[in-house]
Amino acid sequence: MKIARLALWLLQRERTLKGMNASGEWRVLLLALIIGVGSVSTTGFLGDRLERAMSEQGAGFLGADLLVTSPRPIDAWPAATALTTSHALEFPSMLARGDAFQLVTLRAVEATYPLRGNVRIADRPFAADTVRPAQPPPGTIYVAPDLLPLLSAKVGDRVQIGEAHFTIAGIVTEEPGQLGGVFGLAPRVFMRADDVAKTRVLQPGSRVTYLYQFAGDAAQIAAFGAALKPRLDSTQRLIGSREGVETLHGAFANTDRYIQLTALISLLLSVVAIAIAAHRHALRHYDQAALLRCLGATTAQLRTLYAVQLLTLGLLGSLAGIVIGALMQQALASLVLPDTVARLPTLGFAPVGVAIASGLLALAGASLPALMRLIRVSPLRVLRRDLPPLPLGAWISTVVSGSALLLLIAWYADDVRLVGVFVGALAGLVLVLVLLARLALAAGRSIQKMSHGPLRFGLAQLLRHRFDSTLQLGAFTLALFLVALLALVRSDLIASWRQQLPPQAPNYFLVNIAPGQQQAVAAYLSQHRLKASALYPMVRGRLITKNGAPIASTLPPDARDNNSLRRELNLTWTATLPANNVVLAGHWHSSPSGDGDRRVAAPVKGTPAGAPARGTPPDTRPSGGPGAAPLLRSDPSAEISVESGMATRLHLAIGDQLGFQVGDQTLTARITSLRSVKWDSMQPNFFVIFAPGQLDHLPASFIASVYVPPAAVGALPGFVKAFPGITVLALDKLIANIEAVFDQIIGAIQLLLGFLLAAGMAVVVATLLASLDARQQEAVLLRTLGAQRAYLAKSLWSEFLALGLLAGLLASACAEIAMALIADRLFELPARLHPWLWLVLPLAGALLVGMSGWLTTRHITRVPPMQAIRALN
Amino acid sequence: MTPPGNALFPDTVVLARNLSQRVPTADGMLDILSEVGLAVKAGETLAITGASGSGKSTLLGLLAGLDQPSSGTVELLGQRLDTLDEDARARLRAGRIGFVFQSFQLLPALTARENILLPLELAGRPDAHERASYWLDRVGLATRATHTPNQLSGGEQQRVAIARAFATDPEIVFADEPTGNLDADTGAHIIELLFGLNASAHTTLILVTHDDVLASRCQRRLHLVAGRVREEAIA
Ligand SMILES: Nc1ncnc2c1ncn2[C@@H]1O[C@H](COP(=O)(O)OP(=O)(O)OP(=O)(O)O)[C@@H](O)[C@H]1O
Ligand SMILES: [Mg+2]
Repeated sequence: MKIARLALWLLQRERTLKGMNASGEWRVLLLALIIGVGSVSTTGFLGDRLERAMSEQGAGFLGADLLVTSPRPIDAWPAATALTTSHALEFPSMLARGDAFQLVTLRAVEATYPLRGNVRIADRPFAADTVRPAQPPPGTIYVAPDLLPLLSAKVGDRVQIGEAHFTIAGIVTEEPGQLGGVFGLAPRVFMRADDVAKTRVLQPGSRVTYLYQFAGDAAQIAAFGAALKPRLDSTQRLIGSREGVETLHGAFANTDRYIQLTALISLLLSVVAIAIAAHRHALRHYDQAALLRCLGATTAQLRTLYAVQLLTLGLLGSLAGIVIGALMQQALASLVLPDTVARLPTLGFAPVGVAIASGLLALAGASLPALMRLIRVSPLRVLRRDLPPLPLGAWISTVVSGSALLLLIAWYADDVRLVGVFVGALAGLVLVLVLLARLALAAGRSIQKMSHGPLRFGLAQLLRHRFDSTLQLGAFTLALFLVALLALVRSDLIASWRQQLPPQAPNYFLVNIAPGQQQAVAAYLSQHRLKASALYPMVRGRLITKNGAPIASTLPPDARDNNSLRRELNLTWTATLPANNVVLAGHWHSSPSGDGDRRVAAPVKGTPAGAPARGTPPDTRPSGGPGAAPLLRSDPSAEISVESGMATRLHLAIGDQLGFQVGDQTLTARITSLRSVKWDSMQPNFFVIFAPGQLDHLPASFIASVYVPPAAVGALPGFVKAFPGITVLALDKLIANIEAVFDQIIGAIQLLLGFLLAAGMAVVVATLLASLDARQQEAVLLRTLGAQRAYLAKSLWSEFLALGLLAGLLASACAEIAMALIADRLFELPARLHPWLWLVLPLAGALLVGMSGWLTTRHITRVPPMQAIRALN
Repeated sequence: MTPPGNALFPDTVVLARNLSQRVPTADGMLDILSEVGLAVKAGETLAITGASGSGKSTLLGLLAGLDQPSSGTVELLGQRLDTLDEDARARLRAGRIGFVFQSFQLLPALTARENILLPLELAGRPDAHERASYWLDRVGLATRATHTPNQLSGGEQQRVAIARAFATDPEIVFADEPTGNLDADTGAHIIELLFGLNASAHTTLILVTHDDVLASRCQRRLHLVAGRVREEAIA
């Protein structure tokens, strides 16, 4: 078609025009589009790969068609004769080889495991692997590859788990459900289910996860799942191969949202830049459009012409963005899922369509209002240059681009609530930023008045284009702020949390101490002069009722998904208030002897009645052995003290009767006090503390924390040897693990923040372009009046440096406030200032804005006035 | 004064009756043109003269169908413009009407030759490229074909604009102060070129000017004073 050809021809000719002044808006528009599409297609591509990994390998990823996890054994199942099943146990334990020891996660499996998918085993690291049953031969184990270097072990070595010895028979190179299992604090070890008993690690109160796998035909699985679902409580999970997506995305599932949000913000800023560039494009092309009309072009032809140009740019920009996205997603995948990236399916084509569509939508939404005005320009303009273009219709532009944006966000976020939160937060942030920018500009006015020379002129420019300046400030502040926040969270929070630990704070936790071992453990520790906390008994139970009603029903819907309800709580009892606790309300437990009502026989502390001393077979429930005393279902005098944060989250108050399920027994107790807990004291801390006498008869294990000075770590191997069933948790490793998680998440987000910064710069360039003609005119005027080139350059630099400095200062302020909030709310740390931030951010801002500003405008200082005058005519 | 209808003057290409243009301004309605009547025959040359602000450009815009009058009618190439919408008027102009403006109005992104090519492409002429080269040669700029407007002098730019106006073999060329932005010498050259081409192409030429020398080259002259026709002289 002729018009289409003409459109491309005009577009092509404009591209070859020299200087930003003439064709800059197309370039900015294209650039902004590439940035926006690049950022969203990065996440799109990776999301798609994960999604397809799930659906293509389906049940193989889960290891079953249906998986049920529970902290307790489940006996009563819905009838399901046609399903095949496999049971497994998962629990932490120490694994020792000579003096080396390591915390591992044991998975004890039957011969049928896994029901779906494969486990691949290699004989040596990096050797070829083969599909083998996950259940190792008797007396042997298979281990995750990362365990070997930790123990300097190799296949064939003998190791100790609890009281039993095993031979490492192979390395697990691939197993179901391990998409993203990168944070190997406790490497995985496969053992036989029937080898568990002889380790004697499991005992009443041990933390165990029971895994039940089911496989069968889809209809039966569905029916079975539906029948089972209502029977499960909040601590038990039913995972179908679909729900498995979230669980198995692992690290990505947690970071996904933040990554998506970062991508969306980049897209938003890109759209802002596109809108500004498109507006200026329209302004600069009124003459062209009027001339074309004058020469006989109809509205339809103009519409076609500009639509073809827009479509061409849209496709070009989207495709370039997609290429960038395809490259970046690989980098992102290697960051978030380093272990599994090689196993993900290759790039899919589905996100390509989505990315092109979103590129075109963003472009159309941002530039249509401007182009519509262009198409409707009056041909009379060729005769009367003063004819103003049609009214700006700012609200139309806003409404059109706004709804296009919302559409995009909704499309990507795929979550109405998230969209709401996002839009609300963004609107709030924009408001704050605009306000701050206005304040800063007002402050700039007084500085401007005091300054002189090019500085005064440059600042005057900044103040004159107030709308532009606000926009530039806002966009750039946002980008800098997010970059800084992330860097601070990464570098500062964990460090300062670590710093404020008292010098001799406990650095090891001893968990899973059997009742009979208390004395021996205490003796060992004192013999090696290790300072330990008291040994606290621990019973694991689930909070189920408040004042007789199911706890969930007493909570507003948004408070129901609470961690304290999804896990089993560690319950303890003690007569004395632990050192780092302060009673905030009510009174601490009254002395047990003073309470005549007590109907529980006084227990012998540390020796629960009837509990097997050690080593419970895995298929025996860890609570309440056959000899357990019959339990009182309700003891109105039973007292508990609840941590105040938990009380707030679960809407608990003094006087409330709480019901707990421990094993298959329930017990109730009344809240008599609320406590604050100093969580970072590194002492064993508990949400719920019973008064002595309530739990004593239940099977318990004990927990303690201990400070091991660097010089005394040599005592630890001996401890692990003496007490193989006790889990030794090194705090350093925990923190290092948290830091590793942080690093990965933050690395991933940082990757996307690159897009965000680029989009911020695009906004700066686009707004500068919009004022370029006016600046050119002023520059020409100044030069004809005798201003030297250096004067112009200085005034430009002072304008952009001031803008960048301001953005940096605002971003520093925002980052400090956000950090203070995060430190206070999440880490319970005192807020502190980061002086270097106030230096680095303004400098970075000045550098980035200065560069983009100077590159955009520098030629106006170079063009000879005569040529400039001619170009303006 | 109202000229007779075009049934009696079959070769009339522009016919205006009782043209008035009133526009709203900050202080009330402003009469830019009042009761202007006019008939131009094919091949005629007409100069519209008058002081600055007398309404010359406004009249030109109405005659060419770039704008619509508040009252009165214009017949252009046998079509009543008030019966046509904006797009139909544009289609009427395409290829049949040429324009020359005071400020040249060349597209800065296009070369001299491409600027001439533009109306030919819009009109869908199959021989567009040959014609563009031919007309570039006619105005003596064959060697400047690849130069963009800002590499050309004012006179050269106006020569390109004239070539653009004539390139489609239009029936009428409208020119608004074609020498207004040029010095006397260059202006004289442009006038020669314009009238030379017009004569050889037998085009109707309607030009707005306040230059008496230029006006005197036209067969007829219409003098406007404050939006009214004061005098119509035949040269
Ligand atoms: N749409 C409009 N709204 C308001 N005023 C208008 C409008 N169109 C024209 N005018 C005014 O009408 C008067 C005549 O304008 P016009 O452009 O026709 O004058 P002109 O004779 O071409 O003058 P010049 O020789 O300066 O070009 C001017 O004062 C102009 O400002
Ligand atoms: Mg005029």
